[in-house]
Amino acid sequence: MSSISMKSVSKKYSSGDSNQEVLKNVSLEINQAEFTVISGPSGSGKSTLLNLIGALDNPDSGEIKIDGIEINSLNDKEKAKLRNEKIGFIFQSFHLIPVLTACENVAWPLYLKGVSRKERMQKARELLSLIGLSSHMNKPPSQLSGGQKQRVAIARALICEPSIILADEPTANLDRSTGLEIMSLLTKLNNENRVTFIFSTHDDMVTSYAKRQLFLENGNLMEKSTESNKFKEACNA
Amino acid sequence: MLDLILLAIRNIFRNTQRSIITILSITIGFSAMASFGGFIQFSFEGLRETTIRTQLGHVQIYSDGYWEKRVSDPASVLMDNSDEVKEILGDIPGISVITHRLPFSGLASVGRSTVNVSVIGIAPELEEEFSDFETIIDGRSLRPGDKDAGVIGEELQKGIGAKIGDWVTIMTSSIDGVINAVDFQVVGIVSTGSKEYDSVFVKISIDLAQRALETNKVERVIVLLDDTNDLTDILPIIKSKLKNLDENFQIRTWVELAGYYNAVVSLYTGIFNVFTFIVGVVVMFSVANTMTMAVFERTSEIGALRAIGASRATLIHMFLWEGLGIGLIGGLCGVGLSYFIAYFLELIGGIPMPPPPSMSEGYQAYLNITNDVLIKCFLVSIFAALISSLYPAYTASRINIVKALQK
Repeated sequence: MSSISMKSVSKKYSSGDSNQEVLKNVSLEINQAEFTVISGPSGSGKSTLLNLIGALDNPDSGEIKIDGIEINSLNDKEKAKLRNEKIGFIFQSFHLIPVLTACENVAWPLYLKGVSRKERMQKARELLSLIGLSSHMNKPPSQLSGGQKQRVAIARALICEPSIILADEPTANLDRSTGLEIMSLLTKLNNENRVTFIFSTHDDMVTSYAKRQLFLENGNLMEKSTESNKFKEACNA
Repeated sequence: MLDLILLAIRNIFRNTQRSIITILSITIGFSAMASFGGFIQFSFEGLRETTIRTQLGHVQIYSDGYWEKRVSDPASVLMDNSDEVKEILGDIPGISVITHRLPFSGLASVGRSTVNVSVIGIAPELEEEFSDFETIIDGRSLRPGDKDAGVIGEELQKGIGAKIGDWVTIMTSSIDGVINAVDFQVVGIVSTGSKEYDSVFVKISIDLAQRALETNKVERVIVLLDDTNDLTDILPIIKSKLKNLDENFQIRTWVELAGYYNAVVSLYTGIFNVFTFIVGVVVMFSVANTMTMAVFERTSEIGALRAIGASRATLIHMFLWEGLGIGLIGGLCGVGLSYFIAYFLELIGGIPMPPPPSMSEGYQAYLNITNDVLIKCFLVSIFAALISSLYPAYTASRINIVKALQK
């Protein structure tokens, strides 16, 4: 079964009197554990596509299923639960909660899930150790570098063991070496945890890690290529 | 829930300067309410004790039918068993004094001056406690054994021009309707604190009053307690003890008899409520401003929280906890500031106040900050903070996630 299924999904945005059709009858199937990159020029609808898959926004028409669940039919509370349990988000600008420590930020989705404090803090510590931030657990985001913040965001996205991770330009705010580091980490996590990863990017470095490449232009989604060499290298690392 | 509360507390101190200003506005509003409430309580207590200890006592006991016939047939409702009543109530703990009185109206004359007076016949040996709140302006108060002596109010003294040692004639109707007159010598001039009362006040011994009315009965038995707060406990005991006597009695507490006191309480309580409402509104605007700014500043964070699975209800709870936290901290600081103001007034000896309406003397005002006042102010602070957080919390919960994440 597909992890993500989209059928004839369209989305328009209104601006004044004009309507801009960002997605035009987009259909897409993404299987479990796929490492997919959606590329395309700025304003091509990459983020919109991720927002729709992530149940952050509603399509004007069409059907979106996550692990077989038709998300358009869910109410706001059910969508929040779906996002919490099945989808992890990694944002370009990290979006960590500044008043919480790194560990608390990572543990927060488990709080929303109703897991006890002891259990969630334990799990957050394990995850942070796994991604090499064991010495930064009690620091607030303001004391972390960009790469460290993004690692915390990755740990936060993973903590509920979601089936899908959506990453919207995850390396855009990072320097090249940190970006490479992050991509290697994500590739490794994809390989080890069999989580479906979907990236939006216009960074060739990120694209080079893709197992599957999609290209968005003028609201149309096109399949682009095969598994990349970088991905193979990262998997074998 | 605890984590949400901890997050709310941390968010409160995120913008320390703004939060302190908001908390300060609640603290000042709270202490203004509590100080005003404390001043009113102090005034109430003073007026209450003056009313009780100069006029009413805590409980008054009359013959059955007194309130129905006291004007049409006063002679028929005088008590001839007051000694039995006093004896049966005498062993109740918490009772300070049990006395009897025989009041009547008449005309007082000195030389050519004649004025209406309100005379009280008392037993001086039992009424020392009642004199506590009378200020002797000149002379002395009544003493046991004083038979043809009396004290008069300060305003009455001015009205009829009587001096210490002058003889005053009181004319009245006896219980049989016969015009009668008695004389007493002025031994003291007193102030009860009430100008109105002072202008008609005459206090004589009960023997002289009984001679004036040509009776050996009394009108009422008055019970004075050690502490006014004990009334609710002692009243049922008084009632049950009186049931052991053959006759029925009518019983009134000071609350039922103190019309002026009740009117003052009602007026000042109304003013306090209006003041509380105004302070509550000011607090609401202050907290609403802070919370709205917080929502505006944290839009992207709200978007991220929603993205990782926070429901609208979670966000509403988060912001309501913040509002509640601000209200609680402001309230607690308000309690401290209120007690400090009260303590400071004690230190400087109070604030000199002019005589209240119809009173003859000014007084030193202090703050009597009671638990009731504090609880009311606390509830107003918290309620105002919570109410004013509702709309910002609702706004936060309705933020468009996609747009929020773009901020």
